[in-house]
Amino acid sequence: MSRTILAVLAIVLVGSNLRADVDYESDIKPLFQEKCGACHGVLKQEGGLRLDAGSLIRGDESPNGLLDFDQPADSELIHRVATSDPDERMPPEGEGTPLSAQQIEMLTQWIQLGAPSPPDEEIIESPSEHWAYQNPTRPELATDIPEPWSSNPIDVLMFDQWRQSQLAPVPPADPSMALRRLHLDVTGLSPSREDQAEFASDPSTDAWRQRIDRLLDDPAYGEKWGRHWMDVWRYSDWDGYKDALRGSQRHIWHWRDWIIESLNADKGYDTMIHEMLAGDEIAPEDRDVLRATGFLARNFHKSNRDIWLDATVEHTAKAFLGMTIACARCHDHKYDPISQREYYAFRAIFQPHKIRTDRLPGQPDTAKLGLPRAYDADQSVPTYLYVAGNEKNPDKEHPLDPSVPEIVQAPFAIEPVSLSHEASRPFLRNYIEAEDIASAEKQLTSAQKALRESDDKQDAITLQQVTVAEANLQFIRQRWAATKAKIIGVEASDSETSEERTSAKDLAVQAANSERSLLFQRSLLEVLKQRKAVAKAKESKETDEAKKKAAINAATKKLAEVEKKLVDASVELVANDAKFTPVGKSYPSTSSGRRTALARWITDPENPLTARVAVNHIWTRYFGQPLVPSVDDFGLRASQPVHHKLLDWLAVELIEKDWSMKHIHRLILQSRTYQLASSATVESEGTFAKNAEMDPDNLFFWRANVRRLEAELVRDNLLVVAGTLDKSMGGPDIDFKQGETTPRRSVYFRHAYEKQMPMLVVFDAANPTDCYRRSESIVPQQALALANSPLAIDQSRTTAASLSAEASDDPAFVTEAYAAILGREPSDSERSACESFLTHQATLLADSEKLSPSPGAAKTTVPPATDANLRARENLVHVLFNHNDFVTVR
Amino acid sequence: MSMQFGNNRPDSFSERHRRGFLQDLGLGFGSVALSSLLQGDSTAHGNEIAESELKKIAPKAKSVIWLFMIGGASHMETFDPKPQLNKLAGKTIKETPYARVLESPYLANERVVAFDPNNGFIRNEIYPLQVGFAPRGESGIEISDWFPHVGECADDLCVIRSMWTEDSNHGAQLQFHTGRHRVDGFFPTVGSWATYGLGSLNDNLPQFVVMGTPVADCCGGRECHRANYLGPQYDGIPLDIDSDIPLPYAAPPGGVYQEEQAGEFELLRQLNQISSEQFPTDEALRARVRSYELAFRMQTAVPDVVRLQDETAQTQRDYGLDQPETKVFGRQMLTARRLVEQGVRFVQVYHGSNGGAGQWDNHKGLKAGHTKLCKQTDQPIGALLKDLKQRGLLDETLVVWATEFGRTPGAQSSNGRDHHPYGFSVWMAGGGVKGGMTHGATDEIGFHAVEDRHYVTDIHATLLHQLGLNPHELVVPGRQRLERDFGHVIHDVLA
Repeated sequence: MSRTILAVLAIVLVGSNLRADVDYESDIKPLFQEKCGACHGVLKQEGGLRLDAGSLIRGDESPNGLLDFDQPADSELIHRVATSDPDERMPPEGEGTPLSAQQIEMLTQWIQLGAPSPPDEEIIESPSEHWAYQNPTRPELATDIPEPWSSNPIDVLMFDQWRQSQLAPVPPADPSMALRRLHLDVTGLSPSREDQAEFASDPSTDAWRQRIDRLLDDPAYGEKWGRHWMDVWRYSDWDGYKDALRGSQRHIWHWRDWIIESLNADKGYDTMIHEMLAGDEIAPEDRDVLRATGFLARNFHKSNRDIWLDATVEHTAKAFLGMTIACARCHDHKYDPISQREYYAFRAIFQPHKIRTDRLPGQPDTAKLGLPRAYDADQSVPTYLYVAGNEKNPDKEHPLDPSVPEIVQAPFAIEPVSLSHEASRPFLRNYIEAEDIASAEKQLTSAQKALRESDDKQDAITLQQVTVAEANLQFIRQRWAATKAKIIGVEASDSETSEERTSAKDLAVQAANSERSLLFQRSLLEVLKQRKAVAKAKESKETDEAKKKAAINAATKKLAEVEKKLVDASVELVANDAKFTPVGKSYPSTSSGRRTALARWITDPENPLTARVAVNHIWTRYFGQPLVPSVDDFGLRASQPVHHKLLDWLAVELIEKDWSMKHIHRLILQSRTYQLASSATVESEGTFAKNAEMDPDNLFFWRANVRRLEAELVRDNLLVVAGTLDKSMGGPDIDFKQGETTPRRSVYFRHAYEKQMPMLVVFDAANPTDCYRRSESIVPQQALALANSPLAIDQSRTTAASLSAEASDDPAFVTEAYAAILGREPSDSERSACESFLTHQATLLADSEKLSPSPGAAKTTVPPATDANLRARENLVHVLFNHNDFVTVR
Repeated sequence: MSMQFGNNRPDSFSERHRRGFLQDLGLGFGSVALSSLLQGDSTAHGNEIAESELKKIAPKAKSVIWLFMIGGASHMETFDPKPQLNKLAGKTIKETPYARVLESPYLANERVVAFDPNNGFIRNEIYPLQVGFAPRGESGIEISDWFPHVGECADDLCVIRSMWTEDSNHGAQLQFHTGRHRVDGFFPTVGSWATYGLGSLNDNLPQFVVMGTPVADCCGGRECHRANYLGPQYDGIPLDIDSDIPLPYAAPPGGVYQEEQAGEFELLRQLNQISSEQFPTDEALRARVRSYELAFRMQTAVPDVVRLQDETAQTQRDYGLDQPETKVFGRQMLTARRLVEQGVRFVQVYHGSNGGAGQWDNHKGLKAGHTKLCKQTDQPIGALLKDLKQRGLLDETLVVWATEFGRTPGAQSSNGRDHHPYGFSVWMAGGGVKGGMTHGATDEIGFHAVEDRHYVTDIHATLLHQLGLNPHELVVPGRQRLERDFGHVIHDVLA
């Protein structure tokens, strides 16, 4: 928060001598909210006392005797927070930690000053009056906004605010900086030399617009923004101990690919939510859509269903609604109007769902490839409220129906969805039968081939292998015939004739018979093999008699076992029932429809939260600062944002333009607000200084914020500058250990608990369990990674070689290198430092005998240049990759 | 201290304006000049802590050496002897006079992540002690015969015999470091809180160092030394001390010349200087410039600190560097001393990783297993304590020996013990903690901690207190900490 600007406002408003270091908005109000809010706020008024506004604390309307302005330290308020008597002390034991001495001192000072607070402080009568629970409406735009601020609504709203706050807009960023910002923000990849030259050569105002369109159409947009949404939606590749799956799902990269493809196709945000929460109900047969339910599959937790469901509830509400419903798991929410009952009713929506992995074409083994997806497994499982959140204490008297928190007034209607045979019996997909039969045929062909090529055409084992393969093929065929007949029979049950029924039954008996026959032939094969093993053991040249005897005994024992199985299998042959091993697992033929209802409720235009939360996320990633600071909490603790109108305008726009996210991107990128400079030039120094005095924290976005590249982009841009980036899209997660050697974009590498690329981790990669917003740290490990990783050095060498081909001499090389790596021209002093470096470094390297090699053992892939001049250029490129501007968006 | 901008992090913009000059110094690895400036200053994070508040706690220790035995060392066979077990051996607990332990309400503290059909049960048939005991030092603390060298330092030890935890499986390793059960998720660890609260005393070294193979991913993995929401600058930094490059990326790859890199860093310094003139208010730029200076110095400082050949032959022998069993842990202990000598704040050493639950996890073969593991660690730990003391460092270095839980008084298989979260032992030495004492107790058969019971975060609180930090002040806006996360300082053990 901007302490200074608010403090200034407070002084003006209350006319007191309030010192800037005790400020109601930034010091006092949050303190009351934290320590007293739960019991003395709009939700609850213990002892009839409300303390969530200055006038209420002072008791302006109805005196409460809390403050003593003559003897501030003797105030009842101070007494109650400072006392050591546990019966008296506020907050009471268990409701919060006592105030620190400094906090008490601060409170006392504030009272001493007359307990000032802004006179227009909002006091809501009921939680439903909270700004975020009101439907966003399109604010009226001021009509007296001067050019060039009047054409884009974002600019109109911003300009209006600057005008009111007496801030002057700063000039736009230098075109080369703006272009680099645009490319990095939209696609995550810095502009190439050609991109820059083309932009520089077209002075028309349309060039910017055209470039925006081109970048939004670039598939790299989906990869860059896909990663942002993967943060918010908690993307995690499978997590497990050794090979055992513990969390998320194998092959969940299908969901990642769906995210990237959906963004590139500009699928509506509403549709994306529908598909992620209920793709299996909306398009049960569409594998492309089913991928979206990875959003749910990601929450899978092997050992504990409660954790699994709790995570699903918590993060669905945070991601789409900015609602901290998880705080109501053990008790009613302390700050927001959400009861514990509502928490569990919300959880009931997810109660029936489970995750399964569907087989995909070309790979019968779902451990190797498959589609993890959600489905409703059992609708009869009741949902109970856990008393005090304790799963050992469910309130079984009162099972809860699925519903959504009442504070959001939008329709929520559940309708069960009936699923087709193909959806509930995934094995019925045509490729599965074809693949099964083809596989059995292949087995037979190879057995026949083995027989043909065998020296002994009468070898019992080789012959029996053919017999087994024949029996297997027959069984596979008959099983499919029987399975399909049975299902078609069910489908046609109304008009079914008795002949058809008989026929299905007969087919089933046939299939069962051929399975029994297959088992018999297999057992026979085992016996033949084992007889041979016994003979071999007896003929063995082993000289140690004891060993030989033991081997014979073991083989003989095994033979007895398989002979017993053969007897069992032959006894079974006389059976005549219709039981055979089914071709695949069948699932319920109806889905509860609960998740569809939820998705519709979330995306209903009457839901005041969804669109606001979404545009806030988009805004944050362009401006480095959100409109609503708590991006995952739009509840009562989120005070009305400074840019409320802008937030609402964007939210309404998103809804009305069919939830097109690209539309919002375009609006933002076309605004002048987005294009503002981040730092002063000689000409703009005065404006910057004046604005900075009023709003040092840039709450009003009067300049662009300087941002650091996200972890993935640091790595990706090393590759793209060098021209080595492999732009192929999608596919299975790549082992994170290949991050230094496989030149794919970072988004495609495995990212899960204990499975993260170290280089990304040091640059604040998303925490796979929860990352609504990245942090930006600056630590020496980042310097070490860029200075010493083989990746950075390899890419420097490749870059230097290709730039050298373009640059005849050192000055030209410096120009090319600055453009390629930092997207700008060097200043005169930079140029001279670089040119002099090239000369000195080349001299140094020419006499390599005198130099001391690094003790490092890591290996580069690209060898250093043998020519000292070129090697010096490699060094220069490497320096520029380590330049602060390389990892910075200005 | 760290440079942050953007987001949910503690130091807001205005906070930085206010503390501009400190921020300038403040990076992941802290700052030399801060040692005096920040003595007891944990306020660099924008928390509203009064200076006066902080000064209530004068720091007793500057550094912590945290030794963690992975797998669960048996308390009864290390630091909490229970002769009753020998008398009752072979009987079921129900047949003994201590049958009441099976009715205790403490049993309800157990929380499991997942039911494990093999381990994590109460074992009913009393298993006798697998090793003898003797009173050690003037204080006469009873310590197992597997720890003769540590035993010689008994008068410096404060053994806490009344620990309890919740997880009856090895997620307890994570729980011991964060104070939270595995199913609650990941949180900052004790080492990261300590470094978050303190400035570093040495710019050139990471302030939170990790040695030994970390906890495996079954049981918390690297989250046992990470900072979670405090940010990567407070993560424990693993040092591979047996490598020429102990720190990841701490040297250029093979084929690069040192002079070549020095030339690059000089140009980088010049270019950043030019940028600083262009962007005089860009604090991130200033911080990055400084991060490169630190990184460059670390490249030398880190290999130097692990150059154990600089130590005398006698010292090397004392730590057991000449014996195959003690060499690995001995090197780590000797490095630990060198690190704290250089001002590193928190040195976390893991012992007994086996890529899974841990070697101390002796469900069977306890005698053979613990004999071997104690042998590996005893002499090096003893040497560390004596060496620290002799150099006058023990007073300002708090050494903690810990493990995730104890082991069952009853037998598992024929010759092992199962996991036991209800009562176990840890010890502390130095750093202003009383020596030659035991604190708390388990019952006669070592089942429940019954006297002065301590949850794991009480160790955290005590340690932070000795470093001059008030655990309750270690909070980050927007991140709720539970009362229990803070723990309680064990005042009885403070000198």
